[in-house]
Amino acid sequence: MKPSLRVLLWIAIALLGALAVATIALHRGEQINALWLVTAAVCTYAVGYRFYSKFIAAKVLALDAHRATPAERLENGRDFVPTNKWVVFGHHFAAIAGPGPLVGPVLAAQFGYLPGTLWILVGAVFGGCVQDFVILLFSVRRDGKSLTEMAKEEIGPLGGLVAYGSVISILVILLAVCALIVVNALKQSPWGAFTIAMTIPIALLMGVYLRRLRPGRVLETSAIGFVLVLAAIWGGQWASQTPAVGKYFTLTAPALAIAIIVYGFAASALPVWLLLAPRDYLSTFVKLGTIGLLALGIVAMHPTLHMPPLTRFLDGTGPVFAGRLFPFAFITIACGAISGFHSLISSGTTPKLIRRETEIRMVGYGAMLCESLVAIMATVAACVLEPGTYFAINSPAGIAGQLPETAARTISGWGFPVTAVGMQALAHSVGEQTLFNRTGGAPAFAVGMAHIFSSSLGGQAVMALWYHFALMFEALFILTVLDAGTRVGRFMIQDALGHVWKPLGRTSWYPSILTTSGLICAAWGYFLWQGVRDPLGGINSLWPLFGIANQLLAAVALCVATTIIIKMHHTKYALVTLAPLAWLVTVTFTASWHKVLDPDPRIGFLAQARQLAAAGGNARLIFNNRLDAVVTGVLIVMVTLILLESARQWLDILSGRKAAPVSETPFVVTRLAEEQG
Amino acid sequence: MRFFRTILAALKEIFEESAYERFCSREKVEVSRESYASFVRESSEARNQHIVRCC
Repeated sequence: MKPSLRVLLWIAIALLGALAVATIALHRGEQINALWLVTAAVCTYAVGYRFYSKFIAAKVLALDAHRATPAERLENGRDFVPTNKWVVFGHHFAAIAGPGPLVGPVLAAQFGYLPGTLWILVGAVFGGCVQDFVILLFSVRRDGKSLTEMAKEEIGPLGGLVAYGSVISILVILLAVCALIVVNALKQSPWGAFTIAMTIPIALLMGVYLRRLRPGRVLETSAIGFVLVLAAIWGGQWASQTPAVGKYFTLTAPALAIAIIVYGFAASALPVWLLLAPRDYLSTFVKLGTIGLLALGIVAMHPTLHMPPLTRFLDGTGPVFAGRLFPFAFITIACGAISGFHSLISSGTTPKLIRRETEIRMVGYGAMLCESLVAIMATVAACVLEPGTYFAINSPAGIAGQLPETAARTISGWGFPVTAVGMQALAHSVGEQTLFNRTGGAPAFAVGMAHIFSSSLGGQAVMALWYHFALMFEALFILTVLDAGTRVGRFMIQDALGHVWKPLGRTSWYPSILTTSGLICAAWGYFLWQGVRDPLGGINSLWPLFGIANQLLAAVALCVATTIIIKMHHTKYALVTLAPLAWLVTVTFTASWHKVLDPDPRIGFLAQARQLAAAGGNARLIFNNRLDAVVTGVLIVMVTLILLESARQWLDILSGRKAAPVSETPFVVTRLAEEQG
Repeated sequence: MRFFRTILAALKEIFEESAYERFCSREKVEVSRESYASFVRESSEARNQHIVRCC
């Protein structure tokens, strides 16, 4: 294409993006079409990728097409394998796309569609994508080292220790939150519980099929598993309509919590091929398919958003979670904008597959843009619902009221009309007994997704099937995060305990497997139990805690990245990572201050503990609130330490007091450059 | 055609079919229960350390 035409094309894309952002930001009084959100996102991402990521690649990181990557130098056909960039892209996206970008935007929709959408766009382009990109490159230049190892080498032993502590803390909180979302989605739902329960024997069957009948045929096995899961969704309808069967799957929240803890323990302790790997394959299969289907659905149906751009809950009195727009919107939406967890993936398997340095831009920056688009789709799914319906689903009984009539009156009183009869009809149409008080985000997302699809594909008649398909899709990959995460947590504990007593570090020694599986399950199980017993729904306290932990891990990753950029003598470009770091520190420290010390009992853990104590409340609840405050405090202290240690390094290097050795592997010219030109 | 080949290659990489094929060619073994069991054994420990799925 001629340069002048190219310039015109990019000007047109930028103008269209600006028009779309202006439309969603300035439109008042009338409902807008979801396509405006999608257009704003696609144009913003295109401009961000074309210009900002190119600037980072050329100026800040100086990607070198002639430098051999570890995949080429250390190729062993096992961990280090030079792989086609699109294949690595798919691999990386499949690993970073989890339930986070679906749940966070749904919860943040209580502020309206505007704040979440803007944060997703800006956060991804200037924060999340940059973090994933730079950490991937730095890991590639260090033979695929992990974030913890890089923190230890570049910042010091304290950096390594804090990174380890952050990872294990976030893992425990993440697993508890994931489990709580599943509990809230499946409680008193025989259809959903039956479908998800059936995925366990299906996974076991897949494991045996894969091992005994068709060794290595994973795609074929996953396709069979997928068909069986669809049959399980169909079967769930039968189970829910057959009282003799349905009663076994109509479970209370505590019963589901116990079942999930037992499941997590089994998945961690059983051989990986039997349950964990087949389930992981099945979940990935469903995930990629459903995300594609949802994207097509939104574009084809282009639904209207019923949620206003801004709601009255900007003031912090929201029923879904308490707290003002700043800082809580920015910790509620993590994965769609910036997620510390991604830095673990960018310094995990992906760097060992990269064939050429120049491909890192597409994999690191590009895959995060796609993840961000998933978050925009989740925002659409939540905001196509009538606001009254959205708040009825997401408001805990402790705030809206126990009885349907009371809850409907309360929510209508907030200015979002809803009726108990209407909610009953909606619940009936999706095959549930009730949709009131289904906190956690997953049910609201499922209703929104079913609403989008049922407006053409099959109509209202199949709304219940779409709803349970969406619920199954979320629960399936949330449980996959849970079982894989429990196993990773087990390995991390074994690794640490191995320094105390060597046999405990042996990953195949069964007493160690059982002890450490028990320890990690007890840790996240405790927080899960706390969430289940919380009269405010649990999500109110656990999701912000998870958001804070996740964003603090991103702060650790950006500290490492900034330190390396300064050591590379590219200090004038350090703002690329320093600016998102400063923003994250501001957001997370402010949010932590509120969560620990805010005098409002709905926000501050200590204030709630004091209120409960004054009212002679449950001693366990009082203890839990104090524990949450301590966990938040410990996380903040850890990140403060790594910040101070990093800042000391930066000052020492910039003042010339200290040499800045870069621990990159030495330059070796690539053979692939000659082969591919 | 090339597009579908790339999609299939990506799926095979995501689902680790390619890893098994590489294992078979590296170890010069045929596709079988035994070789698959060896592949799973070899890769599970290393792989599990890195099964990080995002939130």
